[in-house]
Amino acid sequence: MPHLEIDGAVKRYAGKTVLHGIDLALGQGEFVSLLGPSGCGKTTLLRIVAGFERPDGGRVVLAGADITDRPAARRNMGMVFQAYSLFPNMTAEENVRFGLKVRRETPAAQQARAAELLALVGLAEHARKYPHQLSGGQQQRVALARALAIRPALLLLDEPLSALDAKVRVQLRDEIRRIQQETGVTTLFVTHDQEEALSISDRVVVMQEGRIAQAGTPAEIYGEPANIFVARFVGAAAELRGRVRDAEAGLVELCGRAVPAVRARGLTTGAEVHVLLRPETVRLGPPGAAEALLEGVVASRVFFGALTSIRIEIDGGFSLAAAMPSAEAGAVAQGSRVSVWWDGEAPRVLAAE
Amino acid sequence: MKGALGRLLPEAWLGLLGLYFIVPLLATGAFSLWEGGSRYGFAAYVALFHQPKLWQSLFLSVRLAVETILLGLVVLVPAVFWLNLRVPRLRPVFDFISVLPFVVPPIALVAGMTALYTGPDWLVGTPNYLVIPYVILALPYTYRALDLGMRVLDLRTMTEASQSLGAGWGTLIFRVVVPNLTTALVGAALLTIAIVMGEFTFANILLFNTFAVYINYIGQTSATQASALTLLSFLITWLAMLGVLVSGRGGRSVQIGGAR
Repeated sequence: MPHLEIDGAVKRYAGKTVLHGIDLALGQGEFVSLLGPSGCGKTTLLRIVAGFERPDGGRVVLAGADITDRPAARRNMGMVFQAYSLFPNMTAEENVRFGLKVRRETPAAQQARAAELLALVGLAEHARKYPHQLSGGQQQRVALARALAIRPALLLLDEPLSALDAKVRVQLRDEIRRIQQETGVTTLFVTHDQEEALSISDRVVVMQEGRIAQAGTPAEIYGEPANIFVARFVGAAAELRGRVRDAEAGLVELCGRAVPAVRARGLTTGAEVHVLLRPETVRLGPPGAAEALLEGVVASRVFFGALTSIRIEIDGGFSLAAAMPSAEAGAVAQGSRVSVWWDGEAPRVLAAE
Repeated sequence: MKGALGRLLPEAWLGLLGLYFIVPLLATGAFSLWEGGSRYGFAAYVALFHQPKLWQSLFLSVRLAVETILLGLVVLVPAVFWLNLRVPRLRPVFDFISVLPFVVPPIALVAGMTALYTGPDWLVGTPNYLVIPYVILALPYTYRALDLGMRVLDLRTMTEASQSLGAGWGTLIFRVVVPNLTTALVGAALLTIAIVMGEFTFANILLFNTFAVYINYIGQTSATQASALTLLSFLITWLAMLGVLVSGRGGRSVQIGGAR
């Protein structure tokens, strides 16, 4: 039995439907991310689970109990918000104790639990500080400790990292994952940042205009995008228009040349398709290389540290990017001619709309 | 030469402005000490402080100020809370209503009130009746102080955070909202005191002997005592204003979030 089950959740605002019957189940201890651009309904779905919004249809079931009509205060869910949400009149420790105080736990139990949680988030020595004395990252850690202190049935994270600067964001992201694995709390995480979602989750749910576009492991979402929206939203990919040359053999036609694409098998020969190529699957070599599928000219190079991104104008009008280790990229000069190839397993082939 | 003059100009201007405020006060103070001829002393103050009517009117005004603060906060705190939390789109309506007391002259308000001069005995016919117009008069200040305090607090996030931790409305209001609004509440209260202590029109027309009415009465009977009383009333208002300024600098209570 799933720990949390969202069953046909529908939400409308002023006649506009923002959630079209979402079905989603979370297993015990699972970390699931809701990923999508702003306005896709991910936050609305989270708020329905939290009890801050009432669905216009469908239900929310937690550990077998229908909680659709249960007020937020009685759902026992810990939540970390995008905005800094610590109570400004209370110290870090008092903030963490708040939920336990509401539950009338003994002062000794409150204190012990607060100390335990502040240690877990690495802020034991900041217990007596007020929120305005803490940095943004520290405030979000205290908020996480506060949400976990009540031993929540579910942890809800509403873009908790988006207000932080890049370095702190990565640190706290890794820490959230560590803490989630240590505590084993079932977690629903909302983000618009695909890197965040891919790196932290057991499962990623990509949302588009109030519907689930695809749900799967990070590797599935990245490697096997179900449609062009997911492919565009998650990771970078060159998007080439072509047609199936030979469905049986797994060949597609790009720029008048037949190139291997195993995933074209099973489609109809002659069908228009999108061929998606992740930069890291594209190989480059000197012109006339034996493996060459296409040839082109190096249009630009962008150095990213470990990797260098190389943009190639393919003869015939396409442009695609290749990512290669910077140590090897030195040989590929801007303006030089190169041959391009990839493994037949690499391209993702999607029927054109 | 010109540079030095340019630098001195702001100070000179401030100094002139200061004189504009301070000279009448000093003159009033000096006049309140005048005992006729070339004699100066505290006779006016002594005579004043021996009049039971002064104390009665002062206590009445203080009592009305306290009642006005309580009624104002009981009505406004939930209203502004609700405005910020649930119906922010009604803010223009609230803003408009809050400035009505500036637009409607007190004399028109009091005429309306006398026309509606009905109600229970403990209200009508006692000075308590004044609390109603006083709440209205103080509305522009109290509403704005509370609204600002709640806007700074990010009420919606605070509410949802406390609800998700299991808190009910009572816990939310008394443990989270009110403690974080002390600056706003003190500001609203002190502004109300300043207004009630100086209000004349309503009390005079409805025939209640408040502090301001008493100042007016004294002014018609003894000029030096009136000066002394004016200074006293100025002092009360001024202390209330100082309180607003000092409490506004408290810092922590309105401070939220943000990296330091």
